[in-house]
Amino acid sequence: METKAVLNAVPPYGHVFATEKWRNSPLIQSLKGGGVRILFEDELGLADFHLPNKSCVLYVSECDVVAGNGYKRKLVRYRNTSSHGFQELVLVEKTRLSEQYFGAMQKLVVFDLGLTLLPVGGQAEASQLIAQIGLTLTVPPSQVHGVGRENPFRRRTSSRLLDPLVLALVQHVPGVGRVKALALLERFSSIQQLCNAAPAQLEPIVGQAAAQQIHGFFHKDTAAGT
Amino acid sequence: RPAAPPAPVCILVDSRCIGNGAELISSLRRSAGATVHVCSLDGGYFIVSGRMAAERHSQSDLAAMQNRKRLAERVNGLLGSFERVCLIVEKDRTKPGEASRPPQRTRCYDSTLTALVRAGARLLWSDGAEQTAGLLVELARLEQRKGQGITVPLEVKGQHRQQALQLYLSLPSVNYVHALSMSHNFRSIGHLVNSSVEAIEKGGCMSRARAEEIYRFLRYSCDSVFMNTSKAGKTS
Repeated sequence: METKAVLNAVPPYGHVFATEKWRNSPLIQSLKGGGVRILFEDELGLADFHLPNKSCVLYVSECDVVAGNGYKRKLVRYRNTSSHGFQELVLVEKTRLSEQYFGAMQKLVVFDLGLTLLPVGGQAEASQLIAQIGLTLTVPPSQVHGVGRENPFRRRTSSRLLDPLVLALVQHVPGVGRVKALALLERFSSIQQLCNAAPAQLEPIVGQAAAQQIHGFFHKDTAAGT
Repeated sequence: RPAAPPAPVCILVDSRCIGNGAELISSLRRSAGATVHVCSLDGGYFIVSGRMAAERHSQSDLAAMQNRKRLAERVNGLLGSFERVCLIVEKDRTKPGEASRPPQRTRCYDSTLTALVRAGARLLWSDGAEQTAGLLVELARLEQRKGQGITVPLEVKGQHRQQALQLYLSLPSVNYVHALSMSHNFRSIGHLVNSSVEAIEKGGCMSRARAEEIYRFLRYSCDSVFMNTSKAGKTS
């Protein structure tokens, strides 16, 4: 069974792959109740669930936590063998009974293995979270161009306008306010040009004293030990 | 020969954390393995290495819909200047005498968690200030083991060097540790401005991509039209 290829497919929108052993569980019942369709698959490797947005879930129950050790080996194998490109999540039942082991669990899962740990109170909470992970954040095909579904936490990579940032930086030069900074950048359009301008070149714009001061600021020693 | 005890790790704490995190700060100070340095960062977070920032939030913070936008802005800001961002989710404090009952798990809480995970933030879970302090030290230690610990001197003496540090902090995507490294490793601001990408990468103790961004920024040719239209003085 070790040689069986792990299923790499991502379930279609609205569906979750689950392993057979979950068939009659409260978690599955409650997912179904929430409108999620379940496809049972026994080729998920060590994962219990595959979700439409390319994440997989390993579920560690209260019982596993309290019984100890067995789940640790499983977690390590989960990390080492998981399907390529999937985000690996570990759901851990944090209950009154398993609470005392949670610290050690977190150390192993997050610090040692670098996986994502999400505590849940039980199968009901887990199903709510799985439905959330698998469904609400996946854009259904009909809404691909819709707005409002995008992740607010995803860093926008579109380039910012740099001009105001350059202007703000130049105003960190002592004696240079907004007016002088604008005048300087009108003549020397980049920080590098401004930095390398001779005092004589700065003088017509800001006057002699400020010209000396600006030039001095850029070239005065800052290194340690001076 | 027994192994020498590891050098204490350094954790930078934003001065804003002191007001609402006195218990956490004193736990951190008590912990033998860490030196705490308070400085003025641009938000209430902790720096545990040159590339990792950590922020603590209460569970109820994450569960409240009205906090979502602010949280997203903060996390985005941190993801801009750190390779790794860690959120420590702390259990809400119960008042003495009040029965401790787990808060109702809301859909908003679940969707915030999910969004954070998808955005690449790391989550850690804590039962209180004491545990949060332990997690911060643990993070710093892990980063130190990976060769990412904060080793640059934290003191910046003299007015001119303070001013230079402030200027470095206004570079895009530069965090406090990068700025400190630059102020210690470059002879002058002019030296940084005229340095190659490789020299910026080395002197700023930063990734190649970040060094390239700074290199380009220093040579970026402004257009006064865009400077005048924007009222935003400082956006980062």
